[in-house]
Amino acid sequence: MLNAQRRRRSPLSSLANPKYIMVYATIGIFLLIYLAGAAAYGSKGFRSVRTFMLMFIDNAYIGISAVGMTMVLITGGIDLSVGAVASLTGMIIAYGNSVLGVHPLMCIAIALVVGVGLGLTMGAMIQYLNVPPFIATLAGMFLARGVTSLISRESISISNSMIDAWAGWKKYFVKLQDGEWVKIKPVAYINLNVVLFLVMIVLGALILQRTRFGRNVYAIGGSEQSAKLMGLPVARTKILVYGFNGLCSVLAGLAYALYVKSGWNLALQGAELDVISAAVIGGVLLTGGAGYMIGTLFGVMLKATIPALITFNGSLSSWWGKIATGALLLIFIGLQRIVVVSTERRSKQGGK
Amino acid sequence: MKRRESIFKSKLIWAIIAEILILLVCLLMRPDFFKIEYQPQTHMWYGSLIDIINRSAEITIIAMGMTLVIATGGTDLSVGALVAVAGALALKLLRWDVTVYNTPGDYTVQPFILVLFVPMLVCLAMGMFNGVLIAKFKMQPIIATLVLMVAGRGIAQIATNGKQFTTLYAPFRFIGQGSLLALPMPIIISAVAVLGVSLFTRLTSYGMFIESVGINRNASRVSGIKSDTIILIAYALTGFLSGVAGLIYASRISSCDSNNAGLNYELDAILAVVIGGTNMSGGKFSLAGTVVGSIIIRTITTFVYYFGIVSESIMAFKALIIAVVIVLQSEPVRKWMSSRKNTGADRIGGGVHA
Amino acid sequence: MEPDVILSMRGIEIQFPGVKALDKVDFTLRRGEVHALLGENGAGKSTLIKCLTGVHHMDAGEILLDGAEIRPTTPQHAMEMGISTVFQEINLCPNLTVAENIFVGRQPMRYGQINWKEINRRASELLERFSIQIDVTRPLSYYSTAIQQMVSIARAVDVRAKLLILDEPTSSLDDNEVKRLFKVMRDLRAQGLGIIFITHFLDQVFKISDRITVLRNGRMIGEFDVRQISKLDLVSRMIGKDMNEIFNLKRAEQKRGASVAMSAEHIGIPGKVEDNSFEIKEGELLGFAGLLGSGRTETAEILFGVTKPAHGTVKVKGETVRFNAPLDAINRKLAFCPEDRKKDGVIADLTIRENIALAVQAKRGYLKPLSRKEMDSLADKYIKLLSIATPDADKRVGELSGGNQQKVILARWMATEPDILILDEPTRGIDVGAKAEIQRLMLEMCGGGMAVIFISSELDEIIRCSNRILIMRDGVKAGELPGENCTQPDIMRIIAGEAVESA
Repeated sequence: MLNAQRRRRSPLSSLANPKYIMVYATIGIFLLIYLAGAAAYGSKGFRSVRTFMLMFIDNAYIGISAVGMTMVLITGGIDLSVGAVASLTGMIIAYGNSVLGVHPLMCIAIALVVGVGLGLTMGAMIQYLNVPPFIATLAGMFLARGVTSLISRESISISNSMIDAWAGWKKYFVKLQDGEWVKIKPVAYINLNVVLFLVMIVLGALILQRTRFGRNVYAIGGSEQSAKLMGLPVARTKILVYGFNGLCSVLAGLAYALYVKSGWNLALQGAELDVISAAVIGGVLLTGGAGYMIGTLFGVMLKATIPALITFNGSLSSWWGKIATGALLLIFIGLQRIVVVSTERRSKQGGK
Repeated sequence: MKRRESIFKSKLIWAIIAEILILLVCLLMRPDFFKIEYQPQTHMWYGSLIDIINRSAEITIIAMGMTLVIATGGTDLSVGALVAVAGALALKLLRWDVTVYNTPGDYTVQPFILVLFVPMLVCLAMGMFNGVLIAKFKMQPIIATLVLMVAGRGIAQIATNGKQFTTLYAPFRFIGQGSLLALPMPIIISAVAVLGVSLFTRLTSYGMFIESVGINRNASRVSGIKSDTIILIAYALTGFLSGVAGLIYASRISSCDSNNAGLNYELDAILAVVIGGTNMSGGKFSLAGTVVGSIIIRTITTFVYYFGIVSESIMAFKALIIAVVIVLQSEPVRKWMSSRKNTGADRIGGGVHA
Repeated sequence: MEPDVILSMRGIEIQFPGVKALDKVDFTLRRGEVHALLGENGAGKSTLIKCLTGVHHMDAGEILLDGAEIRPTTPQHAMEMGISTVFQEINLCPNLTVAENIFVGRQPMRYGQINWKEINRRASELLERFSIQIDVTRPLSYYSTAIQQMVSIARAVDVRAKLLILDEPTSSLDDNEVKRLFKVMRDLRAQGLGIIFITHFLDQVFKISDRITVLRNGRMIGEFDVRQISKLDLVSRMIGKDMNEIFNLKRAEQKRGASVAMSAEHIGIPGKVEDNSFEIKEGELLGFAGLLGSGRTETAEILFGVTKPAHGTVKVKGETVRFNAPLDAINRKLAFCPEDRKKDGVIADLTIRENIALAVQAKRGYLKPLSRKEMDSLADKYIKLLSIATPDADKRVGELSGGNQQKVILARWMATEPDILILDEPTRGIDVGAKAEIQRLMLEMCGGGMAVIFISSELDEIIRCSNRILIMRDGVKAGELPGENCTQPDIMRIIAGEAVESA
């Protein structure tokens, strides 16, 4: 009887757990801004499924990269190389296919080897040589960006039937009208990038919550020293996390290549900032140990809402977007501080 | 002291060896590399070495502040954005009235003193904003300064309404293009900055306090150090120095560029500090090392130019050289090296670790 | 060999550069016993433990676990063989839940996924065996240090340990928590586990352990049955000197007619200190007794301006003061040696010289630096005065032993020439010799007219040194006793208060 009661109560009480506060904050602020936008620009179509889906489509590559970044940040690290590696991926595909005539699948395979290899190497530098993650991945960023420029300094467009087919793949939203499935108006769809983004979020969440590897990631972020003494495979986990992030960067680069259908050495400059700020807005703690994929998903969406709102407003210039993003970051780090301080206080007083 | 100094020295020594090696390769490629010539027409010394130091000025100046910030255990990512803000403000003040943006003017609308001081003071204020977030509200430095890094360029663009101004006003161009004592002005300004910060940390106890705060903030506070103030000063100073660097940059190009001015400067400045042997986790710092680090970064660029390699690819070589320096400086490698050296010494000298 | 021996270490030798850390040390642990490992700092206790847990590797000797020879290579390897360790600092992840902290790395799986229900269920069951009923799905940081300590023991025991090493587990626990821990230790002992118990508290050794092994200077001094050795005998074996010689200290004479140096009226911060009032005269040593968390440290922090009081007034020499930061207190000639030496005391990477000069410099402000000469003479003076064991003032403080670090902090404050000195647990975690020296210094300063507030959990040293003793309970001043003719039971009765009746 007691047991049954406990089991029935557990889903609700576990949702009230203080560790989810930041995720709720992200979702709450997203809903707030989205609904405010819907109220203000609903007549112009902000409320439409199409607008919502376009936000996904335009930011899928950021989101894919944010999946890996979330994991890196949870270990207490950081990776500045993601934008450069994604750009390198695009260049490998573009140059490999358009100039050298290599099959795109082969190009992607090469990019995967390069990206994951670079990630693992940076991870090993961080783990075995005690190089600060900031510096190691900065070197990785320079390397990837430099190699991209060595391959070509011009934008190379991709024209390949397979890539075209991938980029053009769409699944339209339909509704049942007079016994027939018709596309909703205005037309809304999802493309391969959105699918990839969502799949990576789910995969990332499963890894983090349901595997020992994922839990080790949290443990390392909480206290690397303790994780070592608890006998967890710290070195392997950390290196693999950077390797996984390399994989995510390559997939983000692929998504971006599908999005713009070209490779360019200056593409995605500063994208690492967008990715990091999306994760932070999603409630990932930069000191490590806390964060959820669902938060990152909403972080990406929240960040995407701002340029969308500015576009709908029409009179605001785009650079207000940067300031708004800065303000959002400020709000979230402020919130994080409050959460951290209040839990610290609670643990000092209570618990006995 | 002897033992600690030797560790510290060995960190700096790798940076210096790396610099010398790069210079030697440059010399092999271009026998006239070390040649310095006086040109009477412009009253200036010319030469690759002068050029390297001249062009490293902005990073050197910013990295002086960054060294102190890193010594407190923090980082400042906003410096590049502040460079853009300073340039935008200066050009806005110079061309207050302007409606046709692309025509350069050789006059200033607002008093020149304002053109100089408003950007520097605004950057100082922004540095203080960073400092307040970090010292008073105890926010994480990387993320607290990320706020201005993201928002700063937006502010710069709003200041200039997103336009590029150009100026031919001679006093302003003198900052980045003129010369004093037969040396380019940026060298003079950066020397003043290096000297100023060095004296500030040496002649006062600020240097010791900043190391103390960087090593153990709590204990420093209990010992009576106002650690909040110490940290605040470091960020404010970095903001101010970024403003100075921003003026030099704007003066060099006689224009402002909110998108590209100071791009990646935060990375270069942090690298200069780390290559110079200051630990990113805070504590002991070395301003001399930072100067060497900054010059190394610039030398790599020059070096790569001599190989005729296109500009963006410099990054790849930068990465490789940085990787080598970092690996040589890394704790395990240094330990391994010193253990190889010490085994001999121990055998002769007997045990010293008691 | 006796049949009930789990672990036997024989002839262990470990050579560090220039020093023999362990010299032919033997150690035997039986099934179902608590075996205390004692010795001063640097005697080799932790080296022996680190050898057993695979952190250090022995140069000679053998380790037999259940009769089979083993050579642990890493802590993980040792753990796999059934050697579990709980360290003084809690080595768990504060961000993970209680349940997960017990099972991380060996979570029960189902369908290739972590079985969370099973983890939470088993964790609750396990902790219930320790009579702890808490919500195991909350983050570890949500709970008190004592609970966290229990959780780490639960983890250590649940990994199918054959023997459990407890390295100073009680240093951050109060009496009730220690009792609870001892109950758990007795239960585990009854289950046949062998427990190695390292502590500085001799009372606890006599309360819980069955046998004692004493180390000194890397050598084994002897193995004793706890019933066959007296406390005095034990201490003299640990330090190799006669105890009376060391503890031959006299409390400072209280001068008549001395003026009040400092007073506090009804100071407090809700939840920490409710209400505390006292006054202290020049040349007086006022002891603060009470359990951990009774508000002693918090009172000291209010007095020194580390935290601001919510109510009450503090007076220095009759003048009401409001300190916003420790610096304000320093300017009124106060000094404070904090409880947590590592966290709030030493600046490990700075030299002894800089550490000593720090507070003086802070008082002057950074714009008026001490000259190198002034710093040198300060450092030399106090290194000599406090006999800090170091070749020169250029050594990093982090490289010193705990006792010498404590002396450096003391020197830092003596250099400011304070009128009022607050010492929070200055003798915790340092060896008996250094302890006596610090007590001696404290009394000397008192004799020189300084007012000293001395916080300690060890009643005997409080009684030995204090002119008056203020006793705190649950954030409130519970009583005051004169130092002379005061006995431990007197104090304990006040500390226990109503708690005795209700328990």
